[in-house]
Amino acid sequence: MRDWRLWFERNFGNPLKNGRGVVLALLLASISLRAATFSATLDRDTVSVGDSAQLSLVFQGGTPKEQPQLPNIQDLRVGYGGQSSQFSWVNGESSSTVTYTYTLTPVQPGDFTIPPIEVTVGGETLHSQPVTIKAVRNASVEPSAPNADQQLAMLKLTLPKQEIYLGEVVQAELDLYLRENVVGVQQFQFTPFTADGFTFGKTIQGSQRMTQVGSVRYSIVPFFLTLTAVKTGSLKLDPLDCSIDLQLAGTGQRQRDPFDPFGIFQHNEERRVTTSTDPLPLTVLPLPDGAPADFSGAVGNYSLRMTASPTDVTVGDPVTVKVEIAGRGALDSVALPPLSVWSKFKVYPPSSKVQTTDQLGAQGVKDFELVVVPQSTDVHQLPPLLFSYFDPDQKAYRTLAQPGINLNVKPGLASNAPLMAAASKPATPPPAQDIVPIKLRLGNLAASGPAWVQRPGFWAVQVVPALAWMTLLVRRKRAEALANNPRLRRQRAVAAIVASGMDELKELAARKDSDNFFATLFRLLQEQLGERLDLPASAITESVIDEQLRPRRMPEPVLGRLQELFLACNQARYARVKSSQELEAFIPRLETALREIQGLNP
Amino acid sequence: MRYLATILFLTALLAGRAPAADASADFDSANKLYAEGKYSEAADLYQKIAAGGAVSPELLFNLGNAEFKAGETGRAIAAYARAERLAPRDPDVRANLQFARNQLPGGDSVRADWCARLLGRLTLNEWAVGASVCLWVFFGLLALRELRPAWRGPLRQFTVLAGSAAAVLWLGTAALGFDRHLNPVAVVVNHDAMVRGGPLDDAQTAFTARDGAELTVLDVRDDWLQVGDGHQRIGWVKRDAVERL
Repeated sequence: MRDWRLWFERNFGNPLKNGRGVVLALLLASISLRAATFSATLDRDTVSVGDSAQLSLVFQGGTPKEQPQLPNIQDLRVGYGGQSSQFSWVNGESSSTVTYTYTLTPVQPGDFTIPPIEVTVGGETLHSQPVTIKAVRNASVEPSAPNADQQLAMLKLTLPKQEIYLGEVVQAELDLYLRENVVGVQQFQFTPFTADGFTFGKTIQGSQRMTQVGSVRYSIVPFFLTLTAVKTGSLKLDPLDCSIDLQLAGTGQRQRDPFDPFGIFQHNEERRVTTSTDPLPLTVLPLPDGAPADFSGAVGNYSLRMTASPTDVTVGDPVTVKVEIAGRGALDSVALPPLSVWSKFKVYPPSSKVQTTDQLGAQGVKDFELVVVPQSTDVHQLPPLLFSYFDPDQKAYRTLAQPGINLNVKPGLASNAPLMAAASKPATPPPAQDIVPIKLRLGNLAASGPAWVQRPGFWAVQVVPALAWMTLLVRRKRAEALANNPRLRRQRAVAAIVASGMDELKELAARKDSDNFFATLFRLLQEQLGERLDLPASAITESVIDEQLRPRRMPEPVLGRLQELFLACNQARYARVKSSQELEAFIPRLETALREIQGLNP
Repeated sequence: MRYLATILFLTALLAGRAPAADASADFDSANKLYAEGKYSEAADLYQKIAAGGAVSPELLFNLGNAEFKAGETGRAIAAYARAERLAPRDPDVRANLQFARNQLPGGDSVRADWCARLLGRLTLNEWAVGASVCLWVFFGLLALRELRPAWRGPLRQFTVLAGSAAAVLWLGTAALGFDRHLNPVAVVVNHDAMVRGGPLDDAQTAFTARDGAELTVLDVRDDWLQVGDGHQRIGWVKRDAVERL
């Protein structure tokens, strides 16, 4: 004990000083303070002889000191299946469950009762309730093949009863028996269920279990499905064929494998087996006479619930009514009870939705939602709702009733109009009683194409004013830039003078006007050189060649050409050139010289 | 030569007006059927005119009336809603659309918020034309200021006003256009349209949409539309069960 305390304190500290310890202490206390319970349950009440049922001994809130012992019962074999524990902590509530499982296998038909079992849990003696299992010897329970205990696989279809009612949903069980030496199933295919007079629902696989047929043990793979009779009379479920690829455990008589001399690896034999169910006769009874007036064909076991909201409305306001029919049966075909007594309401067609709560879809809830509109203030209640169905277990019709729901229906705008008119002019016009009549003129037809904003042409039109403004803006900016740059302005002015001067020279040459020709040529040289050298044009003479251009390292050939032109201008003052060809010959020379001057960096 | 040009012009003019004349005759015939109480036949004839590719608010309005009287509330709401998009301030269209909507239990349809209702007072084309005119005026004033710098001062207020108006109207155009593009509406025209969890015939039913319910189209896949209703429920409905606006 002392060691235990040391270990506890080392790991959790002093529980009185440490919060973690306090929590643990509370946890243990909450578990220990809960009273232990003990119960015994069977997974089914009836088994066939040789078949096994599972008995579970469940302890909640405590663990027995030792494994419970079952008494010996004649003709009932008992096997221990093992122990499982479960601990849960949900929303501060803790629970522990310990379950011991046993298999019970009757070897003779009859009723076998497991008496109360006495067990000590936490110093308290607990007793389970007695449970009874019934063992039957029935041809339909065991496969009826003559050599059933020799087959590797068998199929068996069972129904809970041989007589059912029209429209009743019945759960059938299709058991696949696999001999104990079958270690695997590769493929399992069976023909679809077909039977005249029945409709079949979903098929699901159940939990595997063991059974014994004769001296051979089989594992059973159950499949569950629902079927509904749609025709009365003596009907038959046709045999169901199936083919299975089985893997059988090795027999040990195989030849020695050179790659596995010690037989480490399992060698299984594969075999394809076909089997089928026996035809199963079934009587489908018609529904008895005396059905209630509101019976609409529902067969099964149901409950009914009706709600409505809002219940405080004015005339013309919608009230949503929800009807919930829950239970077991063909929910898809369940219809809303007739609403013939709801004459004081305008009733809109209901909508419905089915929600199943089991995998087979035979159990669940069908919700109806409908909108009703009270037509007058005389309405004080939603009428009671009646739903009738046939209960196949009780073999009788049953009628469920939901009481009416009180409504407070106030007068609407239309009813108030006279009163309001007497008092004052109504703030809003009364609701219209009908639609506005049709129009007699067709109006302007327009192509029902895309909107303008979806057409590229529309966007192109929007670009035009923006482009126009941007053009003007750029023009203004350039003008401003020119105004702020005198050199650039002079450069452009000189370019214009040169352009017009060249035309003038051609005219003067044609007129053989030598004086003006050379005067113009000289002026053009002055303008261009003045612009490049940033000097007044009037200050340009032949002397700039030596004073300005040569120091700027202008090529000598260019200087030579300029000098020739200046010389020609000077000579013309004394010796006129009379031929047009002679004058025109100066024009290309001047153009070359001007281009070369324009290349001069200012 | 002048006579030939006149003949060609008149021929072209008459050829252009011929379909409109046919539509007008069909319109009168449909109105007559309506007056005789043959609402389904009238609706078919109105539909035939609309199938020609040209529509008017009056045509869609009468189509809505005929569908409504024939008991096709969903188709009537679709026609009125399309008419309202062409003539949003027409009191008759608005009254009949509201009347048809009032015949349905509330809650299933998606309802436009105040902003969408405000934008919907003008058609998308009206918004676009207004915005375009203001834009042209704005840039025209800017261009005038470039051409006549002396007028810049007097034009300043008008330029700011036109620019602001253009901005507001373009915003409205964009908002309405995006709303129509991003939240397209479909009206249920079947009496009970099954809205399923997926775009498959055997998918589980998510909910049932009533005739006339206006749903928002969220996605399109083959013959299926993904829709949402006024209860924020989402599912897939067959294309032929609804009419897209």
